[in-house]
Amino acid sequence: MADFLQLLTNGLALGSVYALAAIGFVIVYSATGVVNFAAGQFVMLGTFAGVATLNDAGWPLPVGYAGALVAMGLFGLLFYAAVYLPLRHSPVVTIIIGTVAIGITLQNAALLTFGSWPFRLVSPFEGMMVEVGGAQIPVHAIAVVLGTAGLIGLLWLLLNRTFLGMAMRAVAQDLRAARLMGLRVGALLAFTWVLAAILAGVAGLMLGPMWFADVNMGDPIALKAFAATIIGGFGSLPGAIAGGIFVGLTEVLGASYLSSAYKDLIAFGAMILFLLVRPQGIFGERIQDRA
Amino acid sequence: MRLVLGFAALVALGAAASLAGSEYGLRLLNLAVIAAVSVVGLNFAFGYAGLITLGQSAFAGLGAYSLAILTTRLGWSPWLAAPVGIALTALAAAAVGLPLLRLKGHYLALATLGLNVSVGIVAANWIEVTGGTNGIAGIPALTLFGRPLTGERAFLWFGLSVLAVLSLGASLLHRSRYGRAMMAVRDDETAALMTGLDVTGIKVAAFTLSGAYAAVAGCLFALHVQFISPDDFGYAHSITSLSMLIVGGEGSITGAILGAVLLTFLPEWLRFLGQGYLAFFGLMMLAILIFLPRGLMGLVETWQIRRRGTAEARPATRAARPAVRS
Repeated sequence: MADFLQLLTNGLALGSVYALAAIGFVIVYSATGVVNFAAGQFVMLGTFAGVATLNDAGWPLPVGYAGALVAMGLFGLLFYAAVYLPLRHSPVVTIIIGTVAIGITLQNAALLTFGSWPFRLVSPFEGMMVEVGGAQIPVHAIAVVLGTAGLIGLLWLLLNRTFLGMAMRAVAQDLRAARLMGLRVGALLAFTWVLAAILAGVAGLMLGPMWFADVNMGDPIALKAFAATIIGGFGSLPGAIAGGIFVGLTEVLGASYLSSAYKDLIAFGAMILFLLVRPQGIFGERIQDRA
Repeated sequence: MRLVLGFAALVALGAAASLAGSEYGLRLLNLAVIAAVSVVGLNFAFGYAGLITLGQSAFAGLGAYSLAILTTRLGWSPWLAAPVGIALTALAAAAVGLPLLRLKGHYLALATLGLNVSVGIVAANWIEVTGGTNGIAGIPALTLFGRPLTGERAFLWFGLSVLAVLSLGASLLHRSRYGRAMMAVRDDETAALMTGLDVTGIKVAAFTLSGAYAAVAGCLFALHVQFISPDDFGYAHSITSLSMLIVGGEGSITGAILGAVLLTFLPEWLRFLGQGYLAFFGLMMLAILIFLPRGLMGLVETWQIRRRGTAEARPATRAARPAVRS
């Protein structure tokens, strides 16, 4: 039981990180129609922005976190201008390959800057444990789950209770109509990319202390985020959360109860099964046949 | 006739390179030829039938592993093992394609990507059969007229002949009613259905053919390197195959070959940049996608039109399809 509690918390924490990565992927897809294959590299950059501000520059934690997230926001803006704008009218496959190409560049640039050695990002709750039902549970894992829940709450408020969020949803539903209503579509799309990059940045900062951070961590995260998105339902925010948690839990529980070699097969098998049996995922895509 | 001349030119060009090139250059050229076989196959699925598949290297792996297991464990001749491996892969592609090809666009892309990742996990962990991450070594070389094809130069001749024959086959299909049917499905599925085409059958056929070509490429790879491991058939290679087709120009066999050659050699040409060459490679690929939306074949066509001074341009293959959003 104690073991199970520990695994459950770790799985939920990992799932929260996947959920954040998947949310970043989904809000970009809903607003712009872009299937961003560089989404995993966004998370990797988030971790390494933290490595730069906390480990290398040695800034105090709050300043370091803020600095890393500001850097991620600027990166989102740059991505909007340099990758999204030139490719926005291209067919879906060109966008897939284009984001893969820029992902290769990002990964290699990180390798040049930080080297191939793995880093350990510090946590504000370094080494702290709480005992629950006989299990030693890292405070960091609990903080990740609560932090993600809080962030999702804020995101919900932004999208449903503010003018900015409603304008973003209007753009996602019908870009031309939104433009005709006088919304500044360009600025809203740019903000969507910034928001996605910041969410990925938070995911990266949370993941840093849980894994050893190395520059090749992006692709495995992207694959898990894709699986989460499909399982939850493409284009659905609750779906991204449910899918992320599912993938995180199966990874941690599957590794210890079934087989550590085949743990990833569960998530991808579930993803393919969902595509075949229920392609709209758990929560379904509201706008049909976007492809 | 022009066709045959074209492929004779291809063989001649490669042959000329085989006499001039360095050993390392020849090795790369061999890898480019092998990649080209797979990309010419991918052109059936994506170029003609419009199926975005990111599972090409899973099928290459299936072909390669079948050949490796049959030759090293059961002592079969590669000449016997390769056709069996290719047939098995084609069967697998058809079996996978039948349920999977109901998906469209990026759903299909992600499903095939997931399939490729899953195949990789199995290949790395099913140690009794695949040798796990250690792979399978000691695959026998191909013997032709009693002589083993071991050197880079000898293998290049063989690889080029295979590529030429398969390209010829692809281009015959392109001009046949089956090729046109695939393109009809790509351009407008509903309209194709209305004219009485068996849309599902055509999609599965294109996917199966594409998988079979990938298996040929996989067998060539296994016989060339004589060692295979799961890394050789990871999902990244599937993405590379699709990139080659897009960069070369989808829907065109020449484009598929050009793309395969360019993307095999480009990283090597960029090595003078030192450690950062892959970063630059990514940027260059992005630039090609932005500035040459129809790939290298777009360039060739523009050049041909300018030379003829006429406006009888072939209808743009990409413009015919709806963009992500209008």
